Amino acid sequence: MRILAVIPAYNEEDCIADTVRHLVDACPDVDYLVVNDGSKDRTEAICQELDLNHVSLPINTGLTSGFKAGMKYADRNGYDAVIQFDADGQHLPEFIPPMAEAMEREGAGIVIASRSLNGEPPTGARGAGSKLISRLIKMTTGVTILDPTSGMRMYDRNLIKQFATSFDLSPEPDTVAMLARKGVKVVEVPAHMEERQGGQSYLDLPNIVRYMLRTCFSILMFQWFR
Amino acid sequence: MSLTLRIICVVGAALTFLGITQQVRKSKIKIEDSLFWVLLSGLLLLIAVFPQVAHFFSRLFGFQATSNFIFLAVIAILLVKEFDNTMQLSQLKHRVNELAQEVALAKKDNEL
Repeated sequence: MRILAVIPAYNEEDCIADTVRHLVDACPDVDYLVVNDGSKDRTEAICQELDLNHVSLPINTGLTSGFKAGMKYADRNGYDAVIQFDADGQHLPEFIPPMAEAMEREGAGIVIASRSLNGEPPTGARGAGSKLISRLIKMTTGVTILDPTSGMRMYDRNLIKQFATSFDLSPEPDTVAMLARKGVKVVEVPAHMEERQGGQSYLDLPNIVRYMLRTCFSILMFQWFR
Repeated sequence: MSLTLRIICVVGAALTFLGITQQVRKSKIKIEDSLFWVLLSGLLLLIAVFPQVAHFFSRLFGFQATSNFIFLAVIAILLVKEFDNTMQLSQLKHRVNELAQEVALAKKDNEL
């Protein structure tokens, strides 16, 4: 199974080098692609100096679009699976092999690295949001996803194609819900995650509110029309 | 329909028409996109010159005053236009993103 780790990076000069080094050390069989989404800092310079495998968007277009660029790359280069991998060091590459194994064993379309299954569910406000999304997904699709907000997800060949070609598929919980409802098998694998290792989180209060609104509305309403 | 409202309609129509032709002349708006505004100014002018048209529809739908009908009609037209704008904006975003992605991928292909 040929696996590509797509690493969207926007202003990640602090972490990108370490994240890629860790990934390559831990999983030499997994290819990676850094998608520099119009960063204004030294992300691009670092990618060139260290000769990282990367593509650079000329403007900042957002996570969904950056990830789509990665999916197009994966599709055109014939990868069997893509792992969505954070640039900030939260995601640990050691969990990629068990995820790939689960994908093959269970014939899953999506494999989620689940903190909840590992006995470390997200806590505080983040945990509450995660629980709410989890409940909405259960309500609307009947599928139980314990850690829907985990950003570390593996997608199979079929979904790579869908992500590469569709108008508005975001690598977010609402998309997982919609795909689950459409019969894509979603499997969770226990995983540990680190705190972000540097750089700035884009999750300030207005963004959290926007994220929750968008996700909840999308799960409750829009997936029925898609 | 009061004389004041009729005058406002004429002035509004004239200003809209002047404004839009100016911008088309300065190459700030495409002719195809100016069409809506030209038609809107035409509609305002029509209502000002022939208020009977507005009276007729106002009575048909049971409005208390013709001005109420005109306000509602204008709001409705603008809402539809705004919705159309949002739709176009979404599609433009999509296209710009697609271009950015393809530029990034093409640049990589050229390096190899």
